[in-house]
Amino acid sequence: MTEHASKQYDLDLDSIRSRVLQMGGLVESQIRRALEAFGSGERALIEQVIADDHRVNAMEVALDGDCSQVIVKRQPAAGDLRMIFAITKTVTDLERIGDEARKIARMSRSIHERGAQSVPLAVDVRHAAELAIAMLQRSLDAFARLDAEAAAEVIRADAGIDSEFRSILRQLITFMMEDPRTISTALDIVWIAKAVERIGDHAKNMAEYVIYIVKGTDVRHTSPEQLEA
Amino acid sequence: MRQIARHAAASIAAIAAIAGIAGALSGAAWGWGVLAAGLGALLLHHLSHLSRLARWLEAPAAGRVPEGTGSWSEVLTALHRYERAASAREAALADALVRFRRAAQALPDGVVILDAENRIEWCNTTAEMHLQLDGRADHGQPLANLVREPRFVEYLAAGEDAPPVRIERGAGRALTLQLIPYGRQQKLLLSRDTTQAERVETMRRDFVANVSHELRTPLTVLVGFLETVRELDLDAQRRRDYLDMMREQSSRMQRIIDDLLTLSVLESAPPPAAERVRVRPLLERLLADARALSGERHEVSLDGSPTLDLAGSEHELLGAFGNLVSNAIRYTPPGGKVQLLWRESAGGASFAVQDSGAGIAAEHIPRLTERFYRIDRGRSRDTGGTGLGLAIVKHALARHQATLHVESTPGAGSRFTVRFPAQRTLPLSKGAPATPPAASPPPPPATSRPGGRS
Repeated sequence: MTEHASKQYDLDLDSIRSRVLQMGGLVESQIRRALEAFGSGERALIEQVIADDHRVNAMEVALDGDCSQVIVKRQPAAGDLRMIFAITKTVTDLERIGDEARKIARMSRSIHERGAQSVPLAVDVRHAAELAIAMLQRSLDAFARLDAEAAAEVIRADAGIDSEFRSILRQLITFMMEDPRTISTALDIVWIAKAVERIGDHAKNMAEYVIYIVKGTDVRHTSPEQLEA
Repeated sequence: MRQIARHAAASIAAIAAIAGIAGALSGAAWGWGVLAAGLGALLLHHLSHLSRLARWLEAPAAGRVPEGTGSWSEVLTALHRYERAASAREAALADALVRFRRAAQALPDGVVILDAENRIEWCNTTAEMHLQLDGRADHGQPLANLVREPRFVEYLAAGEDAPPVRIERGAGRALTLQLIPYGRQQKLLLSRDTTQAERVETMRRDFVANVSHELRTPLTVLVGFLETVRELDLDAQRRRDYLDMMREQSSRMQRIIDDLLTLSVLESAPPPAAERVRVRPLLERLLADARALSGERHEVSLDGSPTLDLAGSEHELLGAFGNLVSNAIRYTPPGGKVQLLWRESAGGASFAVQDSGAGIAAEHIPRLTERFYRIDRGRSRDTGGTGLGLAIVKHALARHQATLHVESTPGAGSRFTVRFPAQRTLPLSKGAPATPPAASPPPPPATSRPGGRS
């Protein structure tokens, strides 16, 4: 970033950026723990994930406030203004990802309360979830390094999760047709898979904001092929 | 300095003298003209040297200090000397730095040097790998921006008094991170990969739990029957049945303990003396044992004609091979095929047992040799397995630098292959009898009697 006459200004921006990334770290760990709870059915962990969502929300509110402060006090321009815009949007996406993590925890609770059902799809969902977590991680890394190329890669990776989601859906439909007793559990798993797919979408949005910060171009709603140009 | 002054004075004096002579010979105007020209030339000389020096200073290339004439030669020579000394010093420093970094690079642990604000100053390749950093690009980046695990961020904020923190990174890799302060507000972050250590610890815990469980099950049955026999008035037939069942359970416990002892011997004893193990009689004996165990229920055959012998312990090898053969017989339904195979190649020799049994699902194969690992809890115990058979096989083979490979197609059968490296094979000795002597074979080792497949 360029040198600013006011050192404090740089510090403000840097500290906001660092806190966005910390919020990202918290959200990452929320998803991981939610998925672990989905696998193990450990009650305490499920409740922990649900309870910790308020920390994510609190960080969103605090960061939004800080961004307004910077806009009002410093009147940023050009790159810094893009940075502030991108941060407010990133924070929104992160908060949504936090909600998806809580949703996964809730669904896991309902699956495990119902007792073990034979819908052996945990593995497939976990695979899709690993992809989504990796996307989130890489878009946060790209944000920390302001690396537009890495961000473009994340955007391309989203297609993989989408196709993974469709294949999980197909398998679940087969299960439900074969044995109607699995329907409630299968539906809960659909919700979890959908949450995972949404996490991928949010990670993709965040990668788009990184490109916006670095290049100043808005790449939302463009195809990956156009991205290459 | 004085030399330069003398030099300057001499050149000005020379110019003045020439100008004086010219003035005396051709008139004052000529004199002034020559003086001006001389001084101009002197000035040009200085300016040209000055510009060359300035050009060099813009990009000071080592050993390329411009040379000069007149008073400049002094200065530039001195500068040349200074520059040479400086670059030698710099090279020595750079060398020391390179050596230091190489040492830090060679550490088996990841090392990240952090400044007072916890920004990355330097990291070695292990740390790059552990924490997915890029030493060059991430210079000056706050570490918490890239290693975002909340637990680690808290640890970083808490300072060095907190106990080291464990995080998971990437595909199930466990890292232990520790901050060590040094110098002026600088910090060293060490990252250690503890995945392996944790796995070993889990295995140890599981092992103790498994042993207790495996021993407690027959013991519970035994105690139950003991109570019954003691409390109830039983007729002779019932009593005998119960006592038989008690004996069965006690011998089961005994088998587990025997196998545990065998395992601990294999683990701790020095490697076996490399005696000649004659392969042909060994295979024939295995074939005979297999036929006896099968009792005509399977089609048992032997394929391969050994031209090599093995170096190692006959007792241990017979135990290991025997275990594989008895597994194949016990897990192949009647009417199936069990084939013993012996193959030789330039890279060594191999013994394999191929069966046409139920096969093993792929996810179980890597865990088969774990102690007490069971694919199907009920079945293996019914067939009398202790759950230690393949663990013993693996250990016995490792003592012979041999490896066990398992290929299996569920529904089609399995093949257990033991591969021996070339240095474990011996050419057939001349005069060795091709058939085993009729003498009674040595008592079968503990491992040759039926053990669990897993």
